[in-house]
Amino acid sequence: MTPQHFLAKNIIVQGITGKNGSFHTQNMLSYGTNIIAGTSRRDVTKFGNVPVYKTIKQIQQTYSIDISVIFVPAPHAKTAIFEAIDARIPLIVCITEGVPVHDMLKIKQRLATSSSILIGPNCPGVLIPGVHNLGIIPANLSTPGDTAIVSRSGTLTYEAMNLLSAAGFGQRYIIGIGGDMVRGSSFIDCLQLFQNDPTVKRIVMIGEIGGTGETTAATYIKQNINKPVYAYIAGLSAPTGVQMGHAGAILGTNTLEYANAKRQALEKAGAHTAESISRLVSLIS
Amino acid sequence: MRLLEYEAKQLLTKAGLTIPHSQLLELGDPLSSVITPVILKSQVPIGGRGKLGGVQIVRDPKKLKTTIGKLFSLDIKGFLPSKLLAEEVIDIDREFYISFNINREQGQIELLASKDGGVEIEEQDNTTFFRQVVDPRSFDALCIDLAEHLKLNEKSFLLQDVVSQLYRCFINNDCLLLEINPLILTKQGSIVAGDAKITVDDTAIFRHPDWQFEDNSADHNFVVLDHEGTVATIANGAGLAMATVDAITAKGLIPANFLDIGGTATPEKILSCFQSIMKLPNIKVIIINIFGGIVRCDDVATAIITAQQQIPHLPRLAVRLTGNREAEARHLLAKHDITLQQNLEAILGDIS
Repeated sequence: MTPQHFLAKNIIVQGITGKNGSFHTQNMLSYGTNIIAGTSRRDVTKFGNVPVYKTIKQIQQTYSIDISVIFVPAPHAKTAIFEAIDARIPLIVCITEGVPVHDMLKIKQRLATSSSILIGPNCPGVLIPGVHNLGIIPANLSTPGDTAIVSRSGTLTYEAMNLLSAAGFGQRYIIGIGGDMVRGSSFIDCLQLFQNDPTVKRIVMIGEIGGTGETTAATYIKQNINKPVYAYIAGLSAPTGVQMGHAGAILGTNTLEYANAKRQALEKAGAHTAESISRLVSLIS
Repeated sequence: MRLLEYEAKQLLTKAGLTIPHSQLLELGDPLSSVITPVILKSQVPIGGRGKLGGVQIVRDPKKLKTTIGKLFSLDIKGFLPSKLLAEEVIDIDREFYISFNINREQGQIELLASKDGGVEIEEQDNTTFFRQVVDPRSFDALCIDLAEHLKLNEKSFLLQDVVSQLYRCFINNDCLLLEINPLILTKQGSIVAGDAKITVDDTAIFRHPDWQFEDNSADHNFVVLDHEGTVATIANGAGLAMATVDAITAKGLIPANFLDIGGTATPEKILSCFQSIMKLPNIKVIIINIFGGIVRCDDVATAIITAQQQIPHLPRLAVRLTGNREAEARHLLAKHDITLQQNLEAILGDIS
C-alpha cells in the first residue's frame, strides 16, 4: 500500500447503473473524481458522459485502470472483486454491504497471490480531500490537510472529519476499512501507509469491539510508528455474544476483543485515547 | 443465525456424520415411542443449558411425562423451548471438543480441538488446545496431527472421515461456527456427535433456499441492553450507535437499547424505531443522535415530527442532528418546540 495506489487517476465504477452506484457516482463526479468508465450488467452504454461497458476487459482495450470502486449487490460482489483482481487493478474499493464471510475467505486467498489491494467490503470507501472521492464519504465535511484517518465505522469517521475540520486539522487520507469480520485491508496496512507518507503528520484510528485487529495494531504502533496516534474504540458497554449492528462487532469469550482491552493496549503502545470522538479531537494539538 | 441443536444435527446428518438416535418432541406429543433410558434436551439457542437444568436423563418410564412437562415450562435465559430432543443414552468411552471457526485476522478457517470435551470446556486453558488454520491441500497431515493430539492414533482413519465431513458441512452451509462438544468415542468404537452448535452466515441466505430454520436470530440493528433501562437511543451507523450507548453508560445512566437506523431515515423507519422503544417499560428520555453524512438532517427532522404526532405519550426527546442541512432541521424542529442540542455531551449534561 503506497500513496500512489490512492492518488492514481484512472478510476472506474463497477455497478455504475445500480441504485447506490449511480447516486454515489454522481457525487464522486461532482467532487472532481476522474471516473473514466463503468461496468453494468444492463444494456447501457453511457452514464452521463461516462462510457459504460459489460466487462473490465472491454474497458482495458481503451484505458489503463488504476482504481475500481465496487457497488454491485452482495450476491455478485465476489465475482466483481475477482474480475478486478484478474484485471490486475492496483486498488479495489468495495462499498457493498453483506458480502458472505466465506466469499471473503476465497477473496483473501486470491489477494494473497496478487498485487491488488482491497479496501472493504462494507465500508464507506476512501476520500483524499482535494483530490478525489472513492466511495460514499460525504466530502463536504472534509478539508485538505495532514491528518490521516483509518476507521471501521462510517458515521464515526464522518464525526471525526467534521470535528477535525472545525478544529483546523485538515485530512490527507480518510480510509474506511469496513465493519465485517473478514476485511481486505487491516489497520496495520493503513498505519504503514501513513507512517511512510511524509505528508501525514498525525493519525486518527477508530476501532470497535470484536476481532483483535486493534490489539495487533497497538503492537505495530509501538514498534513502527513515530507519528502521534489518536485512537477511539466504540462499544465499551457492549454485552457479550450480541452483534451490535456491524457483522464484525460481536464479542466472544476472548477478552482481547473487548473495547477496554483494546483501548489499554493502544494506550500502552503510546497512542492517545479518549472516551468519545469529540474528546479525542480535543486532545490533538 | 444460531441454529437449534436438532437443526444443526440435521445438517451434520446430511454431511454423513453419526448422531445419536433421536426423536423430536413437541408439547402434547404421545410418548409411547420414547424408550427409556433417554436424554431429554431443551431446544433453546443458549449455551450452558445443561447447568440450568435444560438437559435431563430419564431412566424410569413413569417419570417421563413429568420431566417433559417441566422441561417445556423451564425458561432458560428468556427462552422457552417449543421442542425437546429425546436421544438415546450413549456408552461413552472418551469425550472430545472439536470446532471449526473463522480466524478473522488471518481470513482463514481454523480448527480447534481438545482431548477433554464436555460441559466444562470454557473453564479450560485454551492455550493447550489443538489450534491450526485449515489448508485443504494438507488436510491428511492435519488429521494425523489432530489424532496425535487427541491420543486417538488407533482411530486416525475414522477421525479423518469425521473431520473432513465436519469441514465439508462448515463450507457447504456458510458456517461461521461449527462446534461439536462433546464429540464422543463410544465404547463400541464409533465416533458420534453428542451435541452440536452451528452459526450460519445470514448474508449467505441468497444461495441457501433450503434454509428453513426456526428463526432465533436477533435483530442486529435493534438490541435491548437492559429491559429496565431509562434512556433509549436512536442513532445512525453501528459505530455512532455504540458510541451513544457508551456515553450514556459513562454518565452513570442506564441505556435501554442499541439502535442503528442505517443509511436512510424515512418517517416509516423512525416511526418503527419509536414503536420498538415504546415496548420498553421505564423509558424517561429518547436520545436521537444522527450524523447527517449522506442522510439529510431536515429529512430526519420531518420524520421525527411525523412520528411524534402519530405516537401518543412519547417520552421526552433529546435530539442532536449534525451535518447535512442541519440549519434547516433546527428551523423545522423549533416550530414543534424541539430544541436541537449541540452534541451528545450537551444532551447528557441536560438529562442527568
